[in-house]
Amino acid sequence: MPSCKDITEHSSDYLDRNLPWWKRMGYWLHLAMCVHCRRYVDQLKLTIDTIGKSPEATTPNVSQEEIQAIVEKMKQSTKNKDG
Amino acid sequence: MAHPTLPSDDELIPRLLANDETSYAQIVTAYHGLMVHLARAIVGDAIADEVAQEAWVAVLRALPKFERRSSLKTWILRIVSNTAKSRLRHESRTVSLDESLEESPIIDPARLKPNAHWASPPAMWHADTPDALLASTELRRCISDALATLPPLQRAAVTLRDMQGLSMEAICKILEVSESNGRVLLHRARSRIQMAIEEHEGQ
Ligand SMILES: [Zn+2]
Repeated sequence: MPSCKDITEHSSDYLDRNLPWWKRMGYWLHLAMCVHCRRYVDQLKLTIDTIGKSPEATTPNVSQEEIQAIVEKMKQSTKNKDG
Repeated sequence: MAHPTLPSDDELIPRLLANDETSYAQIVTAYHGLMVHLARAIVGDAIADEVAQEAWVAVLRALPKFERRSSLKTWILRIVSNTAKSRLRHESRTVSLDESLEESPIIDPARLKPNAHWASPPAMWHADTPDALLASTELRRCISDALATLPPLQRAAVTLRDMQGLSMEAICKILEVSESNGRVLLHRARSRIQMAIEEHEGQ
């Protein structure tokens, strides 16, 4: 069975369902018995959800003017190549 | 996987190759914000816009040789990542891009007993939902600071996975790391944020 240290090291793989079934089994058994690791994994899950809702998670806004400026640059770059 | 307002890659690529201005505008509208987000993660806010703009020129230059081994979106983001990485090397702030893969432990060894079980287990947090956690200005600041001090590739991994919801497969292609290294980057990033929250919440 995995140690608490093993649990902390593979908790993302566990949550992302990326462990082979036999490791997942050991993981699950450990969590059934260890209240500390249960809390640890719950807090990691909460952390992931919080990251996703943090202000930093918002895709930066792009104005119409910026888009136009980039398109101009792109046109320019292909012209330079041809000329 | 592609953007909802965009034509399929099959339709879009020939139009871009034909220098169709409408298609330029469509694809910039669809992906530029995401590109800036990724560039910010790697090079920081100050030059992220510049890097993303530079990447568009590189995209057009490389497009005739695009082999379609990934989606156009993934391929474009890989160009952003590479542009940002080389920019970082040029600035030569001696930031190690791979710092994350060094063998630093996920949990402070002082918190574990010799048998690798908890000596100092995690404490209960006061808040138990993202909204409740983020309601605290102070904690928002802690999370921001923790994100800002992550090594660049860790920050990129967490941005693409937990903020943008991309698949791990795409992320590893974009960052040019192996599947297992990609997972390590992501887990280390998440763990650092978790520790930052714990310092604040677990008192
Ligand atoms: Zn345990």
